[in-house]
Amino acid sequence: MEHASYFFLALLWIVGWGTVGAVVTPRIYGRKDLDVSQASLAGAATGAAGGPFALLPLWYLTPELTWKWVAIPSIVIVIIFAGSFAAADPNNLCVTNSGFVATQLVNGLVIGTIYGLMALGLTLIFSILGVVSFAHGEFYMLGGMAVFYLTDVWFPGLHPLVGVLGAAVLTFVIGVIFERLFLRAMNTGQVERPGEYAILVTFGLGFFLQYLTLALVGANPKKVPRFFEYPTISLPSADNPTLLKVTAGTIKMFNLISIPSPRFTAALIALILLVLLMWFLYYTWIGKALRAVSQDRQAAAVTGINPDTMNTLAFGLGTMLAGLSGASLVQVFSWVPWVGIPASARSFVIIVLGGMGSLPGAFIGGLIVGLVEAAGAGCVPDPQRAASYIPAYGMLILTLVLLLKPTGLFGREL
Amino acid sequence: MKKKLLNLFLIAAMLLVAVPVVAAAPPPQGGGQDYVVVADDWLSKLADKFLGDVLAYPAITYYTNQKNAEDPSYAKITNSDLIEVGWKIYIPSPEEAQAYFDAQVAKVGATGDTIKIGALAPFSAPGAVVGGTQMKAAFEIAVDEINAAGGVLGKPVELIIVDTEGLPERGTAAMERLINQDKVVAVVGEYHSAVGLTAKEVAHANHIPVVFAETWNDKITASKYPEVFRVAPLSSEVAALDANFIQSLGAKKVVIMTENTGYGIPAAESTTERLAERGIEAVTFSADIGTQDFSGIIERIKAENPDLILVLLTGETSYNFQQQAAEAGIGPQDLPMICNQVADNSEAFWSNVPDGNLCFYRKIGLAPALYTPETQAFVDKFFAKTGETPQSYAMEAYDSLKIMAQAINEAGSTDADAIIAALENISYDGALGHITFPYGINNPPPEDMGDKWWHQFPDFAATFIQYQEPGQNSADAPVVFPENLKTADPILP
Repeated sequence: MEHASYFFLALLWIVGWGTVGAVVTPRIYGRKDLDVSQASLAGAATGAAGGPFALLPLWYLTPELTWKWVAIPSIVIVIIFAGSFAAADPNNLCVTNSGFVATQLVNGLVIGTIYGLMALGLTLIFSILGVVSFAHGEFYMLGGMAVFYLTDVWFPGLHPLVGVLGAAVLTFVIGVIFERLFLRAMNTGQVERPGEYAILVTFGLGFFLQYLTLALVGANPKKVPRFFEYPTISLPSADNPTLLKVTAGTIKMFNLISIPSPRFTAALIALILLVLLMWFLYYTWIGKALRAVSQDRQAAAVTGINPDTMNTLAFGLGTMLAGLSGASLVQVFSWVPWVGIPASARSFVIIVLGGMGSLPGAFIGGLIVGLVEAAGAGCVPDPQRAASYIPAYGMLILTLVLLLKPTGLFGREL
Repeated sequence: MKKKLLNLFLIAAMLLVAVPVVAAAPPPQGGGQDYVVVADDWLSKLADKFLGDVLAYPAITYYTNQKNAEDPSYAKITNSDLIEVGWKIYIPSPEEAQAYFDAQVAKVGATGDTIKIGALAPFSAPGAVVGGTQMKAAFEIAVDEINAAGGVLGKPVELIIVDTEGLPERGTAAMERLINQDKVVAVVGEYHSAVGLTAKEVAHANHIPVVFAETWNDKITASKYPEVFRVAPLSSEVAALDANFIQSLGAKKVVIMTENTGYGIPAAESTTERLAERGIEAVTFSADIGTQDFSGIIERIKAENPDLILVLLTGETSYNFQQQAAEAGIGPQDLPMICNQVADNSEAFWSNVPDGNLCFYRKIGLAPALYTPETQAFVDKFFAKTGETPQSYAMEAYDSLKIMAQAINEAGSTDADAIIAALENISYDGALGHITFPYGINNPPPEDMGDKWWHQFPDFAATFIQYQEPGQNSADAPVVFPENLKTADPILP
């Protein structure tokens, strides 16, 4: 960085006034006998964005704090952050090269969609069973392995989408069987401390699945060929592909943004699945029953929904979503039995960030983590460190959010 | 929580550990006294009273049972926790007790009927499991050969292989376990430098000789510990070789994609230095082991506009990078790429990096044309056992154990100093060729060469190979560097 001081001064501004806003605002709202539930978050955001110029009017007028008081200042903070970064390091690629920035953003969104799909499974399980599944990464791994064995080993020539379907069935069935055998005991009063029991038993399942797979398939990395070979397309013409240029490996748009094609396929599959899942949860009887159980088990039971069946279904669906995200990524990444470890850690970050049990939170959390990782890997000036810190970028955002809003971005208020 | 489970497992393991075998050699007799057990006696109480040490009771058990064999009026103690009033037992003199314990200590490692040698290798993530798996097979071949040829010091070798997971802290723990719990006389193996760096400290503190297999970091030998030997190449020498090859390809600007480990960072640094000496610019990017998504980094590498990419990532992480780079248009078919040496496993390479044609990779170990009869024999045995071609680390694992066995035989004892002296004078022919350790205690490395040559195998062979057709088997891929060994010219994209 050439003028690192600009950047750090801006950072100091954001942190300093943010702290002042977070600490003082709830007191002022409290003294005026107003709702303080959002005061610390909104105060921190407003302070970080506008400093005293925004805080003093806020304290004087004390308006009702809606989501706008968080969203608008957040955008301003991002602008201050980015602007000071640009001033501090004017030769950085993230400042000078718009194609680079656009590509990073799109890649972040693409990978974030798949992160979101996986985290959605975890949050679905949590919202209905109240259990954090420590075996989530292993179902992700199993999904990929299943596609590899179905399409490459057992039935060569099988269409990859059939393989993905097979992976979904397999992970769903394993999830359902596991829930019936081990997690049902939590609701029948057979275990004394259900929370700890669930952690231990899912952790054990994760361990078991990982090492069983290692023993069965070995440690050599596996990979499935690209699901679809896109035809070579150039628009408007082959010599002048300013709009779109598709080759076997890459899709290039506007001569600016390039997305590797298997990744594009994976994101497309993830998006379709997300839409299907949302339709299922919001427009079918079973989906509504699932959401009812997540809101209130007793009340749902009174209306004729069997909560135990919903538990089984939710666990199966959750593991299936992990399996599906693995199945769609096995054509992008090399697959080994321990591939789920970082993936499950990332899912934990995402669901805590988005709010435990919140479905939109998991998806938006996935997008945020994808974007933050892309920005970190792309913009951190030292090339030796940029990629090494990838797991830390998500954690940083998580820490900030939890500090200001312990329930996560979309978490239910207690 | 993982720790809790581990603790439970450890406790269970401790319960299962066999009771120490009673030694056969009779220590000197005499000086002790007979004693008749009275009420409220127990052995450790008697040991404390007569020998001044509650823990000395096994000596009483041992001598009483010895006496019982000659004279049945002495009791036979089958369980040291259970003695009866009226039993006649023999309480040894402090000298006798000491002699008994000395004999036990001397038997350590050679306890019972085997010679125990420890072996380190990674079998779980984040370690290189593929590497560990091949090393294990190589160890097993070596043990079979050693034992078929009569073992070591007339006893069969018992090899205890421990998983290091590629983690430095596990390296310490594994070495402690081998030395203090399993009582091995020597240790061989290991794949990761980061593990070697911590494990060598434990070996040094306990004065147990080690021959490291695939740990390249210069510092492992440069600390000049008398116990530490190595058959792997030196990272800095490999860097010089890489730099020569890159220069021969005419590159002016190189991007080094390395892993964020005790191997990757120093390797990238020394390569950068060697390249700078030749007037070649280098930019280093690093990523953690297990990184899957390289899209952000690949865009940055593109923006650097390099003439060549050198991949120092290992395992599946290298496959992920190479294939994603190819998809993004900076793969081996777009600009010269020196892929990681795991590319030598052609089946895994082509399934994971289908767009990897024209990849160069460095191969440590003899080129097939230069195979010695020993190399050929090992390769054949390895293929028969696993169906795979042994990589350099398998050859190093095999040689490290065979060398250690030969050294113990030549030393004529399991004494560490004798083994170290034998290793310094070793002359061994194995899978890697003729191995010696020319520099050591008696012949320190000369000033101008540096401490890294301490107990280092100096003549490791290395070549560069290029896949020149998609799907090519690594055995058919031509050697393109160095000049005197090459079988084809490099194809530049």
